[in-house]
Amino acid sequence: MVSAVVRVRRYLFTVAGIAIGVAGLVALGAMSERIVRFIEGGDRFVLGQISVAGRGMGMGAGFTAGGLLPAARIRAIAEVPGVAVVQPQVMLPLDPTTSQFMTLTQELILGVDLSVPSPNRHYRALPVQAGRLLRDGDRRVAVVGAAFAASRNLRVGSRVTLAGADYEVVGVLDRMLTAPDRFVIVPIADAREQWVTKDPLLRTVVASGAMPLTAADLNTGAAVGWRDGEDPDAVARRIQARVADVNVQIPSELSHQLKVSTAFFSALMAGLAALGLVIGGLSLANTVAAAVFERIRDFGVKRALGATDLQLGGEILGEALVVTMAGGVAGVVLAVAVGFGIDVFVGERAQRLFLFSPRLVAGAITFSVLLGAVAALYATVRVVRLSPAEAIRRGS
Amino acid sequence: MLRAERVVKSYRGPSGAVPVLAGVDLSVRAGELAVIQGASGSGKSTLLNVLGLLEDADAGDVWYGDVPVSGLSRSAQSRQRGRSVGFVFQSFLLVSSLTALDNVLLAGRYVGRRGHETRERARALLADLGVAHRWDHYPAQLSGGEQQRVAFCRAVLNDPPLLLADEPTGNLDDANGRVILAQLRARARHGAAVVIVTHRSEALEGADAAYHIEGGVLRQRASVPAKERGC
Repeated sequence: MVSAVVRVRRYLFTVAGIAIGVAGLVALGAMSERIVRFIEGGDRFVLGQISVAGRGMGMGAGFTAGGLLPAARIRAIAEVPGVAVVQPQVMLPLDPTTSQFMTLTQELILGVDLSVPSPNRHYRALPVQAGRLLRDGDRRVAVVGAAFAASRNLRVGSRVTLAGADYEVVGVLDRMLTAPDRFVIVPIADAREQWVTKDPLLRTVVASGAMPLTAADLNTGAAVGWRDGEDPDAVARRIQARVADVNVQIPSELSHQLKVSTAFFSALMAGLAALGLVIGGLSLANTVAAAVFERIRDFGVKRALGATDLQLGGEILGEALVVTMAGGVAGVVLAVAVGFGIDVFVGERAQRLFLFSPRLVAGAITFSVLLGAVAALYATVRVVRLSPAEAIRRGS
Repeated sequence: MLRAERVVKSYRGPSGAVPVLAGVDLSVRAGELAVIQGASGSGKSTLLNVLGLLEDADAGDVWYGDVPVSGLSRSAQSRQRGRSVGFVFQSFLLVSSLTALDNVLLAGRYVGRRGHETRERARALLADLGVAHRWDHYPAQLSGGEQQRVAFCRAVLNDPPLLLADEPTGNLDDANGRVILAQLRARARHGAAVVIVTHRSEALEGADAAYHIEGGVLRQRASVPAKERGC
């Protein structure tokens, strides 16, 4: 251990050079991981339930279409063979002026009917970082996503104003790096009130009595769960065929659409990650090889003192591995520190750019050590092929 | 102890091969101090490199005792070098990242001498050469004379039967030069075969044989002047 520390001190500049290469690689990888997690999270969500919305013009928030899904249709959906559970929902943009934009960072109000269990097979309950989830009978309380909470400095017990009404924050979700990070989840009755408050057209319709609406009719959509053994796509198509005036999203088709719509980001990040591998890898390999060649005279001297090719090769390789490992770890630490600093800065705008997953960190260190070993091996072969006299001459 | 027969060596130059050694014969017995003189570029360092197995000859043979070492494999040659040869170079060639003591101990590392005894011997050698107090200094913290003393300790740590010194006083002042030459003579008196290549005539003092190399041809001088033999 002491000897490893001494070696690292001896090769401080080499370690620093490797660390910078690895840091670049890890930072780009972490941005890629962040996007991948976002896409995977969305994919996992849409594959866990059938999302049904009242028919509209496709200008609603989240998966909704801007139309109503009245109680009668919710009952009709529940009667479709294969359907296990239907949870009425109200999904609204927090800021209606941006409701037309289906952005990746849209903040949403999600009103859920707590008398019905969550139908999503992949998210039976969202993970809570502090406080609790909503309970049946709650009113004027909210559970907020991690990014939403961070951007407004909210914690359990904080107060938040939604559509002019005061709410108590009873829970903060774990950071999931996907859509719920920007959700404000409230009881469905509260969400219905907000909807009426925010939507002048709906207010006019309700006030005019032109449509016989009750509170239970005010749903933008529903999350539908299927019975065990059922094919979710088949159940969704059955709903489509049997219930009029609904937009049914076929889980596999939605998943495909999601992947297509995020293909650009996936390709961009894959490209950046590949670029990081090439640039970081070349920087690392070059630094390790240069560090070996720089000491060519010393290796010539060691050969003169009786070191065999095997002894010298093992020595060079061992040192290169220690140095590369130290550089790799330092690079990861540097990338995490820089990423954390940037995330703190952008966190004020409810963003997070980096995800330093264990697989990324392990992969980066493994990659750097393997590449360092290959570079050191190449340099070692070049060095030991020289005669001791030639090595001393070249290094002098 | 050391025998070289018909050693030929040339280097590749821009306009073809440049001959450096043209069939050199040399024999140095145990306990003998041989001095090879010649002008710069005469091939004396190349000869020393070939004798010490630091580079291969194009033709000819080198023997350590009864062992034809020039025909050995690379690994076997490395082991022979470690066991049988001590080098003293003009530019010291200490490893800059190691202390004086560690530089001396380096000679033991590759021949399996790493124990407490070796460490004590290294310290004793540094004390003999007057640099014991510098044991934890790095080469950059030592004067030229001190570096050469440390290098000499490294060369003799394993008590090699053959000592090869390439311009050992070339970068030293007179006082330090005298110390190093005296140490080399003492090694010969204690039974080692010692070969010094140099262009300085004071190295001839105490020499048993003197040679002159010119144009790649080695010729023995008829006799070493009595004064130079230290008589």
